[in-house]
Amino acid sequence: MECSFALTGKDYVIVAADTTAARSIVKMKGDEDKIKTLGPHLLMAYSGEPGDTVQFAEYVERNIRLYQIRNLYPLRPASAASWIRRSLADSLRSRSPYSVNLLLGGYDTAAQTPSLYWIDYLGTIATVPFACHGYGSYFALSLLDRYHNPEGSLEEGLETLKRCIDEVAKRLVVSPGKYKVKVVDKDGIREIEL
Amino acid sequence: MNTFVNQFSTSSALSVIRKAQALVDDDEEFSDAAWGSEAGFGNLAKGVPSFSVPAVHDPTAFLRLHTDDHADPNCRIKIQHGTTTLAFRFQGGVIVAVDSRATAGSYIASGTVKKVIEINPYLLGTMAGGAADCQYWETYLGIQCRLHELRNRERISVAAASKYLSNLVYSYKGMGLSMGTMICGWDKTGPAVFYVDSDGTRLKGDLFSVGSGSTFAYGVLDQGYRWDLTDEEAQELGRRSIYAAGHRDAFSGNTCNLYHVKEDGWRFLGNYDITKMHYEGPGDVPGSAKTGYGYDVRVEGRVSSAAPAVAS
Amino acid sequence: MSIMEYNGGSVIAMVGKGCVAIGSDLRLGNQALTVATNFEKVFPVTDRIYLGMSGLATDVVTLREQFRFRVNMYTIKEERDIEPEAFAHLVSSTLYERRFGPYFIEPVMAGLWKTQKGEHKPYIAAADLIGCLNFAKDFVVAGTASEKLFGVAEGLWEPDLEPEDLFETISQTLLNGVDRDAFSGWGAIIHVITPDKVITRTLKGRMD
Repeated sequence: MECSFALTGKDYVIVAADTTAARSIVKMKGDEDKIKTLGPHLLMAYSGEPGDTVQFAEYVERNIRLYQIRNLYPLRPASAASWIRRSLADSLRSRSPYSVNLLLGGYDTAAQTPSLYWIDYLGTIATVPFACHGYGSYFALSLLDRYHNPEGSLEEGLETLKRCIDEVAKRLVVSPGKYKVKVVDKDGIREIEL
Repeated sequence: MNTFVNQFSTSSALSVIRKAQALVDDDEEFSDAAWGSEAGFGNLAKGVPSFSVPAVHDPTAFLRLHTDDHADPNCRIKIQHGTTTLAFRFQGGVIVAVDSRATAGSYIASGTVKKVIEINPYLLGTMAGGAADCQYWETYLGIQCRLHELRNRERISVAAASKYLSNLVYSYKGMGLSMGTMICGWDKTGPAVFYVDSDGTRLKGDLFSVGSGSTFAYGVLDQGYRWDLTDEEAQELGRRSIYAAGHRDAFSGNTCNLYHVKEDGWRFLGNYDITKMHYEGPGDVPGSAKTGYGYDVRVEGRVSSAAPAVAS
Repeated sequence: MSIMEYNGGSVIAMVGKGCVAIGSDLRLGNQALTVATNFEKVFPVTDRIYLGMSGLATDVVTLREQFRFRVNMYTIKEERDIEPEAFAHLVSSTLYERRFGPYFIEPVMAGLWKTQKGEHKPYIAAADLIGCLNFAKDFVVAGTASEKLFGVAEGLWEPDLEPEDLFETISQTLLNGVDRDAFSGWGAIIHVITPDKVITRTLKGRMD
């Protein structure tokens, strides 16, 4: 079952997503990267209906890139979130809606603020200090209520993320094995091995 | 000769039956009202309980048609659902903690439900699923446990009690019973927790949580659990886990009831308001951090942003 | 489960003496799961009109954007602020545009309108999801706790409440109403609109 987590800390956002691509009961691939880099300071973890996910993620990626080419500066996280949400909301009432859930983590260089948006396939948006998608949220959200520290160092943030992953591995019947973890902060985006 | 002895013997099988018959006959001379309310247990004198069934050709399907609100939210009879209960074993005994909310659809029917059933001074049962099913059968279990004590001159083990309940609900399988319960207590083997549900599952274990909010409780419980928890730490963990479920799950909440089972039986520790725990913590109790459990309360004044504060 | 109950949430508006109040809870849920407790459902339209929406959260956000656009266009064209009554009809017709594939929200509006003599008169209205307007003289409610809110409001509301008393009445109604609803609550926000200012207060509510 797909799981993605994200949490903010002092000056950064961690985004993590499992790496399995499943079709029916078969694990087709074990190292799929489900976190797109949308800009120098913007990450998007996507999950949902196979097919829709990559199609939509690439659509978003190209449009955000187009904005940057046209304007010479990238879209700030809040504006990007708003545009992406609207795309999903419009798609919801189209003939074939995208079923994609997103976690959008970004660092607003102008306001020097890390920000995180929880967006679901309906186009529901919430600004949150930590978020999850998939069945993992039923275990991780209460845990994050207890352990998340908005001023935590990157080490502390990764420690908390590990707690989430361990908890889901322990309790979820069909829990994913591996996760890809990316961090966005003032210096940009980088991948982290847990 | 034999028959003559039998006629006047007080210990032969026949005389026991005769006495039982006399008792039943006796019973029939008085109405139930003469004995006051027997709370549905009145028929126990005659042996195993028997229930009247609706006069339709498939009573089970009939019941499901009118009570299954998953399939049909507008079903006529709403059985109360939604709960968080947890119990865990540790060095100092067993902690049992439950919430107190009962919902019928989206309506919060009650916020003061007792979801821990005190079977006897050494045994506790928790309540999830059908409230009436749990209440009735765990009280019934209490009767049987007392009879076991009288017959065998020793207390029933937690394993045996839970097995009794498990076998009992299994015999009603498919008829619509709905219960997920933990039988907790202390016996010769020490602290014990058994999970029993109406499917007939019975599991021995250290740590269980049952109900719609159980996943949220597990999230906090698993991370804080160790066998060598002190009594205070364990009690705090139980409270904190129920709070977590009450906060995140719409169908759990209101208050937390906390019990601790030790060698000399169970003790009720208190009733804690979940919103009060959110803002102020559980109050002046051993093991508590004395601050609110709520995320916003806990991290108040802390921000992720490194931006310099704007001079106002 | 009904689509109107998917995200949970409730809104209420009340009339006072020369003032109106409107408020909502703060929960954003995914059925039984509470995702966020900072989701406001009431938005300013002009200095003297607020709009609250309960129902499907994605449509709450979409329509907020939609109404902001339409009200701005109106303001530019007419070179004046929109009046509550005109706004109510704007809401109604926007919703009816989607008659055969509706937005899943129930709007609640509260505002003050200026009479010829320059007095400010209270105005509240609500609509169903396809725009049937309901004007009330006392209070209007919407959302998953609407039945419960009706009950409490019926008992607490009285005519000609001053702003502070109105605030107390609407707060008590909202908090006690949502306490009996599993899908609403987790804090609340109230706006009291008076001719010269809007008083906004965030309320601590039950967090379960």
